[in-house]
Amino acid sequence: MTLHIKNLAKRYPDSAVFQNVSLSVAPGEFVAIVGESGVGKSTLLNCMAGLDSWDEGSVTLKGVDLGGLPDDQRALLRRQHVGFVFQAFHVLPHLDVAQNVALPLLLLGSHDEARVEAMLASVGLAGLGKRLPQQLSGGQLQRVAIARALIHRPALLLADEPTGNLDPTTAAKVMDALTAQTREHGASLVLVTHSQAAASRADRVLYLRSDGISS
Amino acid sequence: MLFKLLRQFSWRELTHHPWRNAAAVAAVMLGVALAFATHLINASALSEFSTAVRSVNGQPDLELRATQGTFDEALYEQLANNPHISVASPVLELASYALAYPSPPDGKRIALKVIGLDALVVAQLAPALMPVPMQDADRFSLFTPGSVFLNAAARQALTDTFKIQSGLQLLDVKVAGSVAAGGAALAVMDIGAAQEMFGKRGQLSRIDLRLKPGTDRATFIQTLQLPAGIVAAEPGDAAERVSNLSRAYRVNLTVLALVALFTGAFLVFSVLSLSVAKRAQQFALLGVLGLTGRERLGLVLMESCLLGLLGSALGLLLGTGLAALALRVLGGDLGGGYFAGVAPSLQFSWLAALTYGALGTAAAVIGGWWPARTAQRLPPAQTLKGLGAAPTQGNNQWLSIILIAAGALLAAAPPVFGIPLAAYVSVALLLIGGITALPWLVALLYDRIAPVVAHQLLPLLAVERARRVRASAAVAVSGVVASLSLAVALTVMVASFRGSVTQWLDVVLPADLYMRTALPTGAGASADTVYFTPEFVASIAKVKGVQRVSTLRTTSVSLVSSQPAVALIARDVTDPGRVLPLVGNPLPVPPDHIAIYVSEAMVDLYGARPGAVFDSFSASFKPLAQSIPDQKAINLIANENSSKFYVAGVWRDYARQFGAVVIGKADFERLTGDTRVNDLALWLATGADSSQVELAVRAAADQFSGAGGLIEFASTRQIRAISLGIFDRSFAVTYWLQGVAIAIGLFGVAASFSAQVLARRKEFGLLAHLGLTKRQILTVVAGEGAAWTLIGSVAGLALGLVVSLVLVHVVNPQSFHWTMDWVAPWLRLLGLCAAVVLAGTVTAWLAGRAAAGQDAVLAVKEDW
Repeated sequence: MTLHIKNLAKRYPDSAVFQNVSLSVAPGEFVAIVGESGVGKSTLLNCMAGLDSWDEGSVTLKGVDLGGLPDDQRALLRRQHVGFVFQAFHVLPHLDVAQNVALPLLLLGSHDEARVEAMLASVGLAGLGKRLPQQLSGGQLQRVAIARALIHRPALLLADEPTGNLDPTTAAKVMDALTAQTREHGASLVLVTHSQAAASRADRVLYLRSDGISS
Repeated sequence: MLFKLLRQFSWRELTHHPWRNAAAVAAVMLGVALAFATHLINASALSEFSTAVRSVNGQPDLELRATQGTFDEALYEQLANNPHISVASPVLELASYALAYPSPPDGKRIALKVIGLDALVVAQLAPALMPVPMQDADRFSLFTPGSVFLNAAARQALTDTFKIQSGLQLLDVKVAGSVAAGGAALAVMDIGAAQEMFGKRGQLSRIDLRLKPGTDRATFIQTLQLPAGIVAAEPGDAAERVSNLSRAYRVNLTVLALVALFTGAFLVFSVLSLSVAKRAQQFALLGVLGLTGRERLGLVLMESCLLGLLGSALGLLLGTGLAALALRVLGGDLGGGYFAGVAPSLQFSWLAALTYGALGTAAAVIGGWWPARTAQRLPPAQTLKGLGAAPTQGNNQWLSIILIAAGALLAAAPPVFGIPLAAYVSVALLLIGGITALPWLVALLYDRIAPVVAHQLLPLLAVERARRVRASAAVAVSGVVASLSLAVALTVMVASFRGSVTQWLDVVLPADLYMRTALPTGAGASADTVYFTPEFVASIAKVKGVQRVSTLRTTSVSLVSSQPAVALIARDVTDPGRVLPLVGNPLPVPPDHIAIYVSEAMVDLYGARPGAVFDSFSASFKPLAQSIPDQKAINLIANENSSKFYVAGVWRDYARQFGAVVIGKADFERLTGDTRVNDLALWLATGADSSQVELAVRAAADQFSGAGGLIEFASTRQIRAISLGIFDRSFAVTYWLQGVAIAIGLFGVAASFSAQVLARRKEFGLLAHLGLTKRQILTVVAGEGAAWTLIGSVAGLALGLVVSLVLVHVVNPQSFHWTMDWVAPWLRLLGLCAAVVLAGTVTAWLAGRAAAGQDAVLAVKEDW
């Protein structure tokens, strides 16, 4: 399994976010998580990446129990095995497109301009590597984010509402690129979304509630 | 509407971060307080000094004054019958020393001005000098020899009977009453008694005149046909002289104080930059809701104005308090020595308060201008998405080039009313030009570094950010550049000055031991009343252990009535290149000419030129011969061609900023008949003990006149140590100022980095998501800090060196009329730069700690 979550519970001092959450994601599997606003979908994704703490249960990524790792070790694991795509793109404004895409490679101590070029081409941004983020549209920015998330061939791609800021046509194109590239790289994909259209592309759709998760 | 927003939107922000905003208010307050206090102290001292001068000089319509020393009282007898003159009051004014007797309170001499006058006429022209006998005193005491009337300062320092020094003699006097004149210690006595006591029989210093109504002053002066060496002066000239004497010093002190205000403006800038960055999304939201860019600009400017007004108001209060305290503790003298002995009361001025308050507020508004423009220009939609504005290239190097060129041109401009105003503007333009050139410098450097670090993540992130947002980088380090350049400029200026003073001391102090009878505070003024006779000098030359004696006669010559008198020094100049700190080589003196060597101030103030005859000096020198009652000397000078004083060299004089002329001892004595001397330099025989020589000289003086205790001794080492000690104390304030400036600059970096960090929380959150550890994120932020402050240090160093050239070669010569060699203490400067880079890096690291925390992750989560 790429990711295994068992009986996960997260609470704030005055309320519970979720509890009894268990799920597994197989290599290459595409899982969509849907649920009402405020039910903790984003928090669950943070827990999967080791970016947030939890109160009960365990999260195992590539066979490593994240709960037992210090912050730095979690960061190293994330660096190697996880890719992110956010709703608000989050590209660094002072780096050009190619430099943004190459960030995870540089983090791993390598650089491969050919791979960056190829990745940009595969998401439909061939020839735009030298542009700055401010010169791109929302759809293009999200493609940059997808290219960046997959450039280092992670085992797990976590995407949160990647089409939330896009019009339906652009959203469809971005989802095409996301699913195609994820499958091509053999990565698992966990997608948090409110979009029925996006969720319908998944192998499995899970519903998160405050008392657990179900298919 | 803006006032409502200020009350609701801005006020909350201001009160939410009280300490941060208090720092900005405090910076403005300090700047205003220092500048205002300096102004009040100087204005109070000047006013007190001028009042004292007026009370001593009285309110005549005209005064006839000798350009040098005294003149023959025969002129008074001529004037007494002039039909246009209502009252003529003869005055003999002398500077001497008094010694309390029989039991001196502290055993020290005090400087005392002695005024001899005619008590029967003085009340009409100078009522403050009218002697008022004591209740039990004989009313004829006004005319009794040895009776004096003291003002309050003298009465406080002296006993009922005391001694006055004349030459090496101590003469007994008795206090018979008082005078109302204020200012420094003053004794009034009958003019005949004064002439007798000081050996000035038949001599006057000035005659005060009251003209009959309807007399035209200019025509009257023409009809007088005054003899050479006597000038008719308006009473205002004396007050103007006092003002001229200290003007450059006062202006430089005020400019130095305004530097604090300049750095205060940077602090306001930093604090508001941080505040605007933090509220960027709030401003964006207001923009979406309909607040125009111009209104956003106005809102931030109002915030800066509010900080400035508050800081200025507090600064005026603090400045007034500081001035009152300083006047009480230090008197009116802030270290320049111009107002020593004056105890002025505070002269508060509403006009000055409004001016300095406006300056403080203007500084704050200028500091708030850039953040206000940021608030004006931020794109609401982009900012709400967290993308901000597109990076600007900020490469308007033409503006920088124009500013720097204008600064360089102004540095070559002459002073205005004796003040280097153009040079100050030049320094300001160079600083602003240099700071606006920062984006270009950033591009120049980091465009070349970027390819080198293209494949190393952390340096890449730091360099790319500095390069792409070069305008922001420039803004962040502008405070460091401004403060470091000022620190570098002051360090170089002080080092250059100290180096030149040290070299100067080496030349002017060649002997082993120096002795004089006048105290340093009275040097020059008392030279005619306190002196050594040739017989005494001859006796000193025979003292055991003394190998050689060299003499110095110091007197003064007035070349222009509105300017302070010029020192005239008669000494041995057979080898001028060795005994004088000449600028350049001595020139050969043409036959039948008399060599004189002028200080640099003479070139600036009176147009003396090396290799030329100095005409105005020739005219002023004549009375020197006439003042000596020796017909042979008078004939000598009268028969000589009066245009024969030839400027054979220019020398540096760090002791007298209003000019000095050195003439050969033999020439001086031949022309004037004056063989008195004021200072002796003693070369000791090999193996002689200086303390033994001192004792022997005192014994000789006691034997000669009983005044061995009046002689002051100092070894070369002591004079050097004292001189350099005074120098270091005088400039200690600049080190404090540098420290404050750099601290404010670094606070600016901290505030800017905090602002950047706040604006980039999502960016750091993304890096955390991508797998950067907390340490790596901190390294990125610290790396950016290092990259930015490195640029700031390079620019600050370069700019500081340029500004130091202006200070050394323009401001100092124009202010004080002396030059110095430019010396850069490279090790200290590089240490200063390294310290700033280190401090900037640590500051950035501290500011970035928040960026690497959980907040950053949550910042990304906000969108999930």
